Amino acid sequence: MTSAAATIPWDELIEHDRVHGSLYTDPDVYAAELERIWYRTWVYVGHVSEVPEPNDYVLKSIGPQPVIMSRDKQGEIHLLLNRCTHRANLVCDAPKGNSSAFRCPYHGWTFSNTGKLLGYPFNSGYAGTALKSELGLGRVPRVASYQGFVFGSFAEDGPTLEEHLGAATDAFDRLVRLSPTGEVELTAGWLQHKCKANWKMLLENETDGYHPQFVHSSIFSVAASGIGDLYGEKSTAVCRDLGNGHTENDLRPEFRRLDQPLGWFGTDPAKVPDYVDQLTAVHGERTREILVDGSPHVMVFPNLFIAEIQLFVIQPTAVDETVQHVTAVQYRGAPDMNRRMLQQTIGSVGPAGFLLADDSEMYERNQRGVQARNPEWLQIKRGTHRERQDENGFTVGDATDEVPQRAIWKHYRSLMEA
Amino acid sequence: MADEVGELSSEFASVRVRIDTDGNGPRLRVEDLRTGHVGFLDPLELETLAWLPEGGLHKLLDPSLHRWRAEDQER
Ligand code: FES
Ligand SMILES: [Fe+2]
Repeated sequence: MTSAAATIPWDELIEHDRVHGSLYTDPDVYAAELERIWYRTWVYVGHVSEVPEPNDYVLKSIGPQPVIMSRDKQGEIHLLLNRCTHRANLVCDAPKGNSSAFRCPYHGWTFSNTGKLLGYPFNSGYAGTALKSELGLGRVPRVASYQGFVFGSFAEDGPTLEEHLGAATDAFDRLVRLSPTGEVELTAGWLQHKCKANWKMLLENETDGYHPQFVHSSIFSVAASGIGDLYGEKSTAVCRDLGNGHTENDLRPEFRRLDQPLGWFGTDPAKVPDYVDQLTAVHGERTREILVDGSPHVMVFPNLFIAEIQLFVIQPTAVDETVQHVTAVQYRGAPDMNRRMLQQTIGSVGPAGFLLADDSEMYERNQRGVQARNPEWLQIKRGTHRERQDENGFTVGDATDEVPQRAIWKHYRSLMEA
Repeated sequence: MADEVGELSSEFASVRVRIDTDGNGPRLRVEDLRTGHVGFLDPLELETLAWLPEGGLHKLLDPSLHRWRAEDQER
């Protein structure tokens, strides 16, 4: 098979401060992205807390490919392709379950939860059992996790997960540090929102600090939330290029200026005394600083958005269709905090929530707008003149600048041209 | 006499489990709810299951082992 990516002139479509509209609509570009990004680099798949017991499994995905994440009896986690090796039926269909073996409903081929083919009905039709050793389930060749977050890569070799995450590991560390046990659990259940837009519309929006005051003004006014000001012209917050396509809206400068423990979460320590006590028992004097700084707002390329108290997983299913999987972050062992995080999540991204509905409307309008071919380009030059390096050498911009979008496209281009 | 333990279902199977006391000692009675087929497990067999190593049931999970095999096929 020839490479789709090799035939596309990436340098003519992606410039430093503008990108071509066809990148969001061209099926060949989408095919190239599957090849070079989704089926090569590290992609977030699931969390260890979703398969807590031996023989637990959950259904996940890598782009359009259906994946089973299973934990075997020894505790090891496997990423198996959910495709029967007989004639391609889905082997598992329930979103989650507990089973040491999976039996395909079409003709009964049966696989262990490590992918081994255990047998098939009426084996005389195959002149014995020789097929068994050859036809185990397909698997994602590389599986690795960081702070319980499980990633898969279809490339047999390449950078390690930690090399890929690079500076973004800090986002995971900061996230789990807010849990008194140092662990998060993704046990609140998942909402799935399908939207008719290219996946990169979502990727670029997650760390876009320019739109919140505009698109989300109604929720900010109804909720009397100070969040809008964090993304204002006077905000001291910054946006940051973390490298490898990972991007961040770093709101800590604002939170430190305001100096309110749990201010980032819109509450105060008196409302969640148990949680604050638990955290203090672990972090002592540093607790106040941790509670002031709050939770990260980081887009981990290409598909995991850590949005303070929620996680979004971006799944492309076609060039113009994307599914967002959303859940509330839960801190293991902190029920009072968890209840509040769940409530806020339902309010902002649930079926009747404001935040995600506002954004999704924008994604779909973007996708329709970008069909127009004049002008051909999307502008991502905002703040180019005031980009600077922070003390660690990362490129940062003001809160509303387009440093993250430029960072995403720079990395994207390097992958597509590789 | 049989004390109901409960029903267990996955996407692959549904069984009802009872403790049967019709014999001289108790047995676990397992009913396949999709076919009505019933099997029994005595305490020693159950203890063996508790000690099964990884993959210990793999042979038995082969559909061709007994349930889906041609009648004339040798075992
Ligand atoms: S497709 Fe799975 S058994 Fe035939
Ligand atoms: Fe049929």
